[in-house]
Amino acid sequence: MRKSMTFALAAGALMGFVSLSSAQAADASASMLADTCNGCHGPDGVSQGPAAPTIAGMNKFYLVESMKAYKMGTNRPSTIMQRIAKGYTDSEIDAIAGYFSAKKFGRVAMQNTDAGAATKGQAIAKDLCESCHEKEGYAAEDYPVLAGQMMPYLKNNLVDFNSGARSIDNNPNMSDKEKRKKKRALEDLMAKHGDDGMAAVLNFYASRK
Amino acid sequence: MSKMNRRNFLKAGAATGAVIAAPSLANAGSHGGKGKIVVVGGGVAGATTARYLKIGNADLDVTLIEPKASYHTCFMSNEVLEGARKLSQIEQSFDGLKAMGVKVVKDSVKSIDAKGKKVMTAGGSTFGYDRCVVAPGIDFKVDGFADVGDFSAITHAWKAGPQTAMLRKQLEAMPDGGTFCIVAPPNPFRCPPGPYERASLVANYFKHHKPKSKVVIIDRKDKFSKMGLFTGAWKNLYGYGTDNSMIEWRSAASTGGIDSISAKDMTVETLAAGKEKFDVINYIPAQKAGMVAESAGLTDEKGWCPVDKTTFESKMHAGIHVLGDASVATKMPKSGYAANSQGKVCAAAIVALMAGKEVGTPSYVNTCYSIAGDDYGFSVAAVYKYDAEKDIIAGVKGAGGLTPADASAEMRRREVEFAYSWYNNICKDTWG
Repeated sequence: MRKSMTFALAAGALMGFVSLSSAQAADASASMLADTCNGCHGPDGVSQGPAAPTIAGMNKFYLVESMKAYKMGTNRPSTIMQRIAKGYTDSEIDAIAGYFSAKKFGRVAMQNTDAGAATKGQAIAKDLCESCHEKEGYAAEDYPVLAGQMMPYLKNNLVDFNSGARSIDNNPNMSDKEKRKKKRALEDLMAKHGDDGMAAVLNFYASRK
Repeated sequence: MSKMNRRNFLKAGAATGAVIAAPSLANAGSHGGKGKIVVVGGGVAGATTARYLKIGNADLDVTLIEPKASYHTCFMSNEVLEGARKLSQIEQSFDGLKAMGVKVVKDSVKSIDAKGKKVMTAGGSTFGYDRCVVAPGIDFKVDGFADVGDFSAITHAWKAGPQTAMLRKQLEAMPDGGTFCIVAPPNPFRCPPGPYERASLVANYFKHHKPKSKVVIIDRKDKFSKMGLFTGAWKNLYGYGTDNSMIEWRSAASTGGIDSISAKDMTVETLAAGKEKFDVINYIPAQKAGMVAESAGLTDEKGWCPVDKTTFESKMHAGIHVLGDASVATKMPKSGYAANSQGKVCAAAIVALMAGKEVGTPSYVNTCYSIAGDDYGFSVAAVYKYDAEKDIIAGVKGAGGLTPADASAEMRRREVEFAYSWYNNICKDTWG
């Protein structure tokens, strides 16, 4: 069963799967913790849209980084996630992240995307985004999956990156080189392509099936 | 000062994960044999429990008994009253549960024999069970002062469906310049911010279509959920606090209490204002656990169901679990998200109990959005753990809470986006 496997994965990553039962007595299991997220992020973390992001199939490290940024409350703006993330210990966050990273990133929500804009966005993304968000945004190994992610969510985050509200400089997990690269790509996106270019890139990623 | 490069770290992490995951597959598989679970009620609490029982152990024999052919969610029903959503857009079918192997029976439960472990229906069927889940939602304590008959002229619209459609029709038929009265219930009741969201969204409908009209809330309390956020929204959107306010809220202290409500005259009488005629009245009565809970002897003297808060097993009858609005789940509110969260805790407990295993530590969340107008949303959230000493489901300190009063317009707009996502995702998570 997938559930047992993913539980073992998360708990195992945490504790080397020595003592599942004793772990349960102290901490809630990974599935118990993670299931509470589904009401907003969708069953198994696959969002039905329109805005709440799919968290299934993201790499674990990114999920942990996101939750910790929300928990800290300074580097990443949110509506509700800062309030939620503060409710979990670091080891609970680790278990939740392990659980969802082992799920499959599903693309089930109907997104209204513009085909023309998506084609235009494909070229821009190839130039500016692809070197990190590889395989046209499907890659999950290093950076968050963008392909098929909810468009309003992607837009909110691009807006927040551009305003500095979502801080690249203060991200503790990026090297200085990564920071420079990412900031340059965002600057190029706006300087060379403007709002239309940003919309095109959003349409491209959101339209991936 | 060398920083860990994200890419290298991740590759290392992914490899470790794969090694750990592989051997555990050999041990995977369902534990525990068959067991019969009967779920009474196909609302959020019942449906979530049924679905997560099947997720937890596909071999369990799960029967869900619900009198309605489909379920209309109370959440977002205020958008139906506003005209922003059709009634069909808050209707959930049971097909998803059926597809998972849950046996859905359209019937109403007449009685439960806790000793004999049997559920009897109005249709004459008997269902034996190993464990029973009772999730009947709420029923009304219709007050002696209220002459409202079968709610056909004055609605309650607090169980969504035909009542929602009826109230919407009344609001549509109301002339511009008319007054709509909401009688808000005393605590505790289903969906604490609901009456105030209703006032907001009906005011929004009036603003766009009948700008001379007004909403009056005659409350049976002196304060209410998300009060600062609602009154702030009303000031920003509906002139609250001015002579031209589209919303008027009257506290219990200010009215001195309600003396009568008459469907025949369309009046509400209070000590302070005497008899007042309204164009449309929505009377939300005081509440108690759904009828089935009472007839099965699961309720306390206040009309709600005391439970073990880690398993939701009834304190009145062993082998029966009660959750959602009907249960006493202090300090979780009677909300849709709470019912969904409790369903998962209850299902996990039953799966463990049926397998003869120790019940794991529970974890609960509540997330509740309110929409007060166009692009204007806010929320309350909490992450909970069970506090054995106080026997309460306690919010984790330092977490949760309300949208800040000074949230930007952009953040309020995003809250609406997330409210709509919340709706789609919680429904999928509940009914499949």
